[in-house]
Amino acid sequence: MTMTKTDPREITLDILLEVLEEGRLGHLVLNQALLKYQYLEKQDRSFITKLTEGTLERLILLDAALDRFSKTKTEKMKPMIRTILRMSAYQILFMDRVPDAAVCNEAVKLAKKRKFQGLSGFVNGVLRTLSREKGKLEFTDPSVRFSIPGWMLSMWESDYGKEKAEQIAASFLKERPLTVRFNTSRASVEEILKSLESQGIAAEPTGFLDTVYSISGYDHLEAVEAFYEGLMTVQDPSSALAAHLAGIKAGDTVLDICSAPGGKTLHAADLLKGTGRVEARDLTEYKISLVEQNLFRCGFANVETKVWDARIFDPEMEEKADVVLADLPCSGLGIIGKKPDIKLRLKKEDLGELASLQREILSAASRYVKPGGTLLYSTCTVDRAENEENAAWILENLPFHKKDITGRLPGSLQADCRENQIQLLPGIHGCDGFFLAAFEKNRE
Amino acid sequence: MAIRQIRVIGDEILTKACKPVKEMNERTEELIEDMFETMYENNGCGLAAPQVGIRKRIVVIDVDDGNQYVMINPEILETSGSQTGAEGCLSVPGKNGQVTRAEHVKAKALNENMEEYTIEADGLLARCILHECDHLDGILYVERVEGELHDNDEEGEE
Repeated sequence: MTMTKTDPREITLDILLEVLEEGRLGHLVLNQALLKYQYLEKQDRSFITKLTEGTLERLILLDAALDRFSKTKTEKMKPMIRTILRMSAYQILFMDRVPDAAVCNEAVKLAKKRKFQGLSGFVNGVLRTLSREKGKLEFTDPSVRFSIPGWMLSMWESDYGKEKAEQIAASFLKERPLTVRFNTSRASVEEILKSLESQGIAAEPTGFLDTVYSISGYDHLEAVEAFYEGLMTVQDPSSALAAHLAGIKAGDTVLDICSAPGGKTLHAADLLKGTGRVEARDLTEYKISLVEQNLFRCGFANVETKVWDARIFDPEMEEKADVVLADLPCSGLGIIGKKPDIKLRLKKEDLGELASLQREILSAASRYVKPGGTLLYSTCTVDRAENEENAAWILENLPFHKKDITGRLPGSLQADCRENQIQLLPGIHGCDGFFLAAFEKNRE
Repeated sequence: MAIRQIRVIGDEILTKACKPVKEMNERTEELIEDMFETMYENNGCGLAAPQVGIRKRIVVIDVDDGNQYVMINPEILETSGSQTGAEGCLSVPGKNGQVTRAEHVKAKALNENMEEYTIEADGLLARCILHECDHLDGILYVERVEGELHDNDEEGEE
């Protein structure tokens, strides 16, 4: 008899093969798989999510552990075998509720099923040794302990010191609750909190903006009334600062040049309370469709969308915007906790290229700002070249001066603000790693 | 050990009743190993000996419940309840169809050491036992299918 695939481990194996061996994006592949296997029980779905994210998050450590007990090093193994071993090692080392013997058996079965009958003994041997020896497993190299590439750790060490660098790396391994921003033009904070409470969902203030809360106790977001009614949007507390710091006022024209999936666009629309206009742009139809889904859910009418490559100057918008939100493509080092495959994919050389891409986009973006208007540059990374150095580059090369943001920041962050900019550090500020810098365009 | 060729619908052997196994010997042991390997190779969850051209009452099953079942000379003792759902068969490649079967099955069989055991199964395992035991009597699921046979969705098969 045959049936469609329902073994959560086999589904995870296929997800990981796509991400680790074919270089596809982890969160996209995972979401696609969860959509495809919607009929699975909730517990299977969360097992798949945890095993996928966990294996990616701890990959460097898992490989180091496997390499101790296997003569063939992980980098020399066949992709199928190495993936089975990695996900099984994660279960043995980090998922206490799964008995090790079951992990070994399932791994052996998977190896056989995937036509590696001949290597099933090897899989069994390595995993059983790992299970037996795991109590004695210790790693002195911090890069292995935090499962983060050595170059990232050294970069942060030289910028922030050893202690902070390790706090940053450690924060990516911690689970953090989902945070949402309330659309207060749609309902008051009290009304939204009441709606959440009626569904048994706990909401905690984040200490950032008073419209941003972390929530827990929901099954899936689509069933949360305040979410499907469009009263809230998923957004990190750091990212919610962007539209806030830009100082958007009623009647403003706001241009969000790299808007998908729409967090800042929605925030800007909410701050405008139905007045003014937001134009949300992004590179592809697909990205714009993500923004549109969010817009549709939240029901804002003062937003238009447009597919546009941000590197190219669009004369139609020249000096039309009171505020330009430039949240640019970046190395994403601040959101490794959410997208762990970033640390596996990114190379040190990529940083320089990203910094120059950002300058190219900023050059075009700067021309859309009205004299006296605001350019808000942000990234979700922790990299001086992309952040502080680009902020300095703007002041040197574009007709802007610093716009002081200290007073608009929550009190707890003011000490770390440097006049017009702030670098938020994961594990230290309690949010994603995020950089914000505000500039005001010179009047002639 | 080897992967054996799967007989497909139209092959006469699939319509014949199979003979009981009298004793375990090396050839039968090898057959059982090969049946598992052939089943995994083709992403099946159950396989009966006639599907690899052997008219013996032997079934292997793995529905991902952590067990590899070998059923020699199986007999259905009791059935109850009913379940309707999609079923496919390695001998009817690329197709599936709705079949109603008992939800709960009690059966006895011999294991690979020729020791008798009884098994109680629900849901998918029950469906699979019934499907495979049908093979031993020369019955394919297409005789029991409700409505049309459907083509498998390409993606789900991989």
